[in-house]
Amino acid sequence: MTAAPAGPPPAAPRPAGAGPARAGAIVRFCALCLMGFVISIPFLWMVSASFKPRAEVEEVRIVPRKPTLRNYPVVLDMQPDPGTGRFLELRFGRWYFNSIFLAIGITVLQVLTSAMAAYAFSRMHWRGRDKVFLAYLATMMVPGVVTMIPNYQIMVSLRFLNTYHGLVLPAAFSAFGTFLLRQFMLSIPPSLDEAAKIDGASHWQVFWHVVMPLARPGLIALGIFTFLGAYRSFFWPLIMLNNDQLYPMQVGMLALDSTYGRQVELIMAATVMNIVPLIIVFVTFQKFLVKGIQLGSVKG
Amino acid sequence: MARQYKERRRLPEPAVFGFLLPNFLGFFAFLLFPIVLSLAMSVTNWSLRPAVELEFLGARNFVDLLGVRASGGGVAAVGWAYIAAAVALFVALAGTMWSNVAGWRGSRIGGVLLSALGAAVLVARIAAGGGQGLVISGLVLLVGGIAAMRREGASWDFGPGVFPPVLLVVAAAGLRALDGPMWASHELRDPRFWQFLYNTLYLMMGIPFSIAGSLLLATLLNHRLPLGPWRKRLVHTGMCLVCGAVTMLLVGSLGWPNVALLAGVLWLMAAMGLAFNIVSFRTLFYLPTFTSGVALMVLWKALYNPETGPVNVGLGAMLQGFGVGAEAAKEMLPQWLASVTWAKPALIFMGVWIGIGGTNMLLYLAGLSNIPPQLLDAAQVDGAGWWAKFRHVIWPQLAPTTFFISVMSIIGGLQGGFEQARVMTQGGPAGSTTTLSYYIYNKFFEDLDLGYAAAISWILFAFIFIATAINWRFGRELEVVE
Repeated sequence: MTAAPAGPPPAAPRPAGAGPARAGAIVRFCALCLMGFVISIPFLWMVSASFKPRAEVEEVRIVPRKPTLRNYPVVLDMQPDPGTGRFLELRFGRWYFNSIFLAIGITVLQVLTSAMAAYAFSRMHWRGRDKVFLAYLATMMVPGVVTMIPNYQIMVSLRFLNTYHGLVLPAAFSAFGTFLLRQFMLSIPPSLDEAAKIDGASHWQVFWHVVMPLARPGLIALGIFTFLGAYRSFFWPLIMLNNDQLYPMQVGMLALDSTYGRQVELIMAATVMNIVPLIIVFVTFQKFLVKGIQLGSVKG
Repeated sequence: MARQYKERRRLPEPAVFGFLLPNFLGFFAFLLFPIVLSLAMSVTNWSLRPAVELEFLGARNFVDLLGVRASGGGVAAVGWAYIAAAVALFVALAGTMWSNVAGWRGSRIGGVLLSALGAAVLVARIAAGGGQGLVISGLVLLVGGIAAMRREGASWDFGPGVFPPVLLVVAAAGLRALDGPMWASHELRDPRFWQFLYNTLYLMMGIPFSIAGSLLLATLLNHRLPLGPWRKRLVHTGMCLVCGAVTMLLVGSLGWPNVALLAGVLWLMAAMGLAFNIVSFRTLFYLPTFTSGVALMVLWKALYNPETGPVNVGLGAMLQGFGVGAEAAKEMLPQWLASVTWAKPALIFMGVWIGIGGTNMLLYLAGLSNIPPQLLDAAQVDGAGWWAKFRHVIWPQLAPTTFFISVMSIIGGLQGGFEQARVMTQGGPAGSTTTLSYYIYNKFFEDLDLGYAAAISWILFAFIFIATAINWRFGRELEVVE
């Protein structure tokens, strides 16, 4: 960029980890520790409240006087609620399964349909391709709120309410995913699939054996983004379902909170079981996930 | 045969349709057709109630949403003049922003006008009383004016940059003058729409805080900490853990288990930082975003509970520690989600907590790593301190990222607020946390009035479209880096 200025020579570079640089690093380290501490306080309270017996929930103490594990089996419907002596009759495991099943289904379908369309928009040559693509992209601007209402009417007319496919099908394609993967596929050198075509490969073979492996970072990024979005989706399942066998976790938590919201220790046990697996997943795969999120969130 | 083949080549090969088919089926069925259907719904009284007969209404849904109706002997001209002044206000606001970004000449004089108007509004508020809205708009004008004046390199001469602020001042004066007669003779057709629009915008006030926090965290996380080789790190981590254990035992044995636990957590955080460097902090900061959803809303609802939640229990204990009586302390504590005043700030705070270390921070980290190191080195050589480096190198280099994040946050904020309203407050108390998206949900899912809900959603789309258009117009300009 800039040439070294002709003038007084710059101060001699300090060895790393000495003097002000080291002091700066220590300040940064302390600031980071403090921020992390502040951010984690709600989680701390959540965990501690989930181990408290009913009588202690309203106290300021973080460490319960008589820690108990009972809240967990109660939420999991293995023990009756000690207050009322009745089972809560929740389907916690089932909600988990639904969430993961739906998220996987949506992710697989969406990545596949997006990759195929992206292939047609980037590696195949046909008249008007880019114009069609622009028109296709323009619809991305319309927010989900607008399409939600007519989609609900469509689902009512198709009698898709309270079904898995009613939840999966509308999410099985995505203009954004097509856009992301098209950008990825355009950066793959065309000589590769031309060589494959000269060897007599069909489009499907080129797609499956040449382009898909090379587009893997993009596929993973889209997959992560879609999975998280699908796992977190709340509005659509909420309006589509009224059968608690089919609830995903998000809607299940709402049902749990609106029925047992006064029993904070039970709600917190459920929240812990909801959030802690996510934390474990994130910590394990965080390198992957951060890359995927960074790539996937650069929309528009 | 050969000729036939040639003719066919002008059309796409059949394989193209094969590849596009699955995607386009979904595209037509769940995106394009619904868009058309939604437009159709918004001009009818489409309802899921079987008793309602479908009727074509034209623009009546939109008029009902945005319009006013005369009540009593009003003069129609007053209403029209008022609307004209409001439109002029919006045009002037857009023009002011535009002149600032596009560097029109004369924007500094405009800045003086703006801040004068802001000061006048604030004085009017102090002298005559008025709502929160007046304070906020006065502050916005004041800050906007000062920001416009601070533009470097803009001249003080008259130029086109003066016109938007002049229009703003005139429009504001017109609105103020017509305010009394207008509301004496007219009433809003759907006052709730305006209330909920205000709520939506109010809740978006958390965005700047969230963005500033993300930027701060990203700058802290940008470089790895110089922690030495792994052997040294291991020893340090071990020492940290031992220190933590000793602190916990010591403080715990003094009879303060809570302090002991918190201190232990702090030591644990330091140990993690020593072991995994900035990755551990990045992971920690991202957790609220990653786990966000109904479960976190439920958690915060419990935190904010005015009787049993730790926020109020802790505040109450603190007040009593300062010698306030138990009853008096109870009186002083805010009711958070149950209070019209405190519900929105509570939600904003939660939103900042969730979003501060989230995707915005990751985008800033990506942006920071793209800054050419020579620039920072050159600044270092020139003797720039950390603030000068931030102000003159990092901040301008991050301008495209900041702009992108702001626009995305605004688009998200306009559509947002549904989850928290549904899970935490049911839109209450007295509709004070109902946003436009929750209003749409209520209209269509509770009242089954799909036509009206579709009309609201198109108005929301208009706002989002404006934000996107601004992004297109100015986002590119910022990416030009000298």
